[in-house]
Amino acid sequence: MKQFKLPDLGEGLQEAEIVEWHVKAGDEVAVDQLLVSVETAKAIVEVPSPQAGVISRCFGASGDLLHVGEPLVEFEGEGEDSGTVVGNLGHASGTSDLAADDFIIGAAPSSRDARPLPVMPAARELARRLGVELGQLEGSGPGGLVTVADVQAADTQPTAGEALRSVRRTMAKNMSRAHAEVVPVTIVEDADLHQWDAGARDPMVRLARAIARACQAEPALNVGFDGARLSITRHQHIDLGVAVDTPDGLFVPVLRDVGNRDAEDLRQGLARLRADVLNRSIPPRELMGATITLSNYGTLFGRYASPVIMPPQVAIIGAGVIREQAVAHQGQVAVHPILPVSLTVDHRAVTGGEAARFLKALVEDLQAAE
Amino acid sequence: MPLSVPISYTRYLDDHGQPSGELPGWVDDPQLLLDFHRQMTLVRAFDQKCVALQRTGQIGTYASTLGQEAIGTALGRAMTEADVLIPYYRDTATQLQRGVAMQDILAYWGGDERGSAWTAPGALEDFPICVPIATQACHACGVASAFRIRQQPRVAVTTCGDGATSKGDFLESLNLAGVWQLPVVFVVNNNQWAISVPRSLQSAAPTLAHKALAAGIPGEQVDGNDVLAVYDRISIAIERARAGKGPTLVECVTYRLGDHTTSDDASRYRDADELSEAWKHEPIGRLQRFLHGQGLWDEEKEQQLQRDLGERINAAVEAFRSLPEADPGAAFDHLFAELPERYRQQRDELLIRAAALGGSAHD
Repeated sequence: MKQFKLPDLGEGLQEAEIVEWHVKAGDEVAVDQLLVSVETAKAIVEVPSPQAGVISRCFGASGDLLHVGEPLVEFEGEGEDSGTVVGNLGHASGTSDLAADDFIIGAAPSSRDARPLPVMPAARELARRLGVELGQLEGSGPGGLVTVADVQAADTQPTAGEALRSVRRTMAKNMSRAHAEVVPVTIVEDADLHQWDAGARDPMVRLARAIARACQAEPALNVGFDGARLSITRHQHIDLGVAVDTPDGLFVPVLRDVGNRDAEDLRQGLARLRADVLNRSIPPRELMGATITLSNYGTLFGRYASPVIMPPQVAIIGAGVIREQAVAHQGQVAVHPILPVSLTVDHRAVTGGEAARFLKALVEDLQAAE
Repeated sequence: MPLSVPISYTRYLDDHGQPSGELPGWVDDPQLLLDFHRQMTLVRAFDQKCVALQRTGQIGTYASTLGQEAIGTALGRAMTEADVLIPYYRDTATQLQRGVAMQDILAYWGGDERGSAWTAPGALEDFPICVPIATQACHACGVASAFRIRQQPRVAVTTCGDGATSKGDFLESLNLAGVWQLPVVFVVNNNQWAISVPRSLQSAAPTLAHKALAAGIPGEQVDGNDVLAVYDRISIAIERARAGKGPTLVECVTYRLGDHTTSDDASRYRDADELSEAWKHEPIGRLQRFLHGQGLWDEEKEQQLQRDLGERINAAVEAFRSLPEADPGAAFDHLFAELPERYRQQRDELLIRAAALGGSAHD
């Protein structure tokens, strides 16, 4: 069967809608006789017959959308398909007898397929993630450029769930970015707190001091790492990010210069940060610039963890629940309060040896009586 | 203060093919009149075929010349082989009259560079079709300057639409042609529409020919649907330029009976009544009625002519269809005497890509 396929009726048009057929199967037509009226994005166009012959089939009915390269009519008799688009396009392979319903799927081979579709890089990435087929899109940008909005509009599977907002949205984005970039290694140890004064159990202030001491012992973990330029910035001060859980999500306010502050100063600073976060009155600058982070989930539940490092930081310390535990002490089994400590480092910037030395200094400071 | 500088308007035949005054002496040449009629009829039939070929995907975008057959036919006939045509995209009639083969014109609109490399002896140095609006007016001044420098008695003739007369390129060219007294003729096909912009919104000038006055050159209007008037006035303008008396602007007042191009749908912005009124003034029927009146034409001759032209057109379409596939690098072949290095690199890159696509392009 010889098929006449829908040509590009304008300049770079992709499709046309059938308005009205002027012939039907069985009709004999002459060259240039009017076959069908179609509407493109630009015009209503009368399509004449490219040849004389008897029509054996008309594809599609009024209102149907046909893509360029799809069959329009079929002529009786043998013969190769007539060209569609100007120039030197190939012909459809084989002579498949298309069922009336599936002509809309798949166009004839066309040089258009080899042409790069103009797509914004961000839109191309989004389409890849959403599984949107770019080839089907008509770009709304200049020169038919496919934009992010086009891809979003073409996403036929919008999420059924609730969209993330504000703090949780920021958390999701930051965590994705961190996870994509950081190479995390976790090492864990227990700190035996039996030397602590039984009444004075404020692990936050001790943890802050221990981290400061550990940074002084092993400065390699108090640095900023630029993965793109592969460079390290050594920090003069230790600014400790303190992860705070709130109903709205995760906040990490920053306790400044923990290396040069006494215990009382740290206690007051921590109390102020917590209160500000819970009141949602913390200024944005107080949430920026941490050089190392502490996640004290010990106030909640859990023993060890591998919390996520936020670049450019290279280390995060996790503190679990202090519990009474049977330990070997001076050749005897004894029951001591034990604080489980987890240290996660970015192995791109930190060696295993540096991590271990840091953790050792941290645990030793925690275990000290004062 | 309204501008009231008179501009002459020439018409010899009215809508009914009746002389509207004394006819010029050369009209006593039946063969010339029959040639005009035959040629305009060919243009219209060929034009219709071009649209059908675009509608069936066999050529690309095409700019129909429907209703404006008289201008190109008269213009092409008024030029000599020594003159050079610098055309725009609505010059099918002019190119055909200059001797460019129909299959070459089809090849051009089919995106084939060979369509501009015609071998018609009467049009060897004619320029290819210019699509950017009004830039060809500048090219024409360049050609005319060359004739002056070489001291050749030749004339550059350039065409454009009404919309192009608003462009700087056009106005600058008029100015240059005037101040240098170049042997160039500007022919404006005022078909009342620049795509969807009507003449009334195009310019506040009373006529487009008035634009010549500021450049110090003569400007005049002719009835663009009267092949006798167009031929008469353009012939005079060309001979004036050839004689070293400088440029002329001839505004041919006509009507675009078709869409702007095959990518356009004029019914979206143009009143149907205006279109049917314009059909009453179209040029072929007018000349035919005149020939009938002169006893030079009848129904039998008309039918024979339609058959002959149909065969010629079909043969040209077949020749176009059987043209061997163009070299993918052809787009680079006609721009420079010697291809600059950066274009050479681009061409090589294209050829590699084309070879990679070869399977689908040649099977």
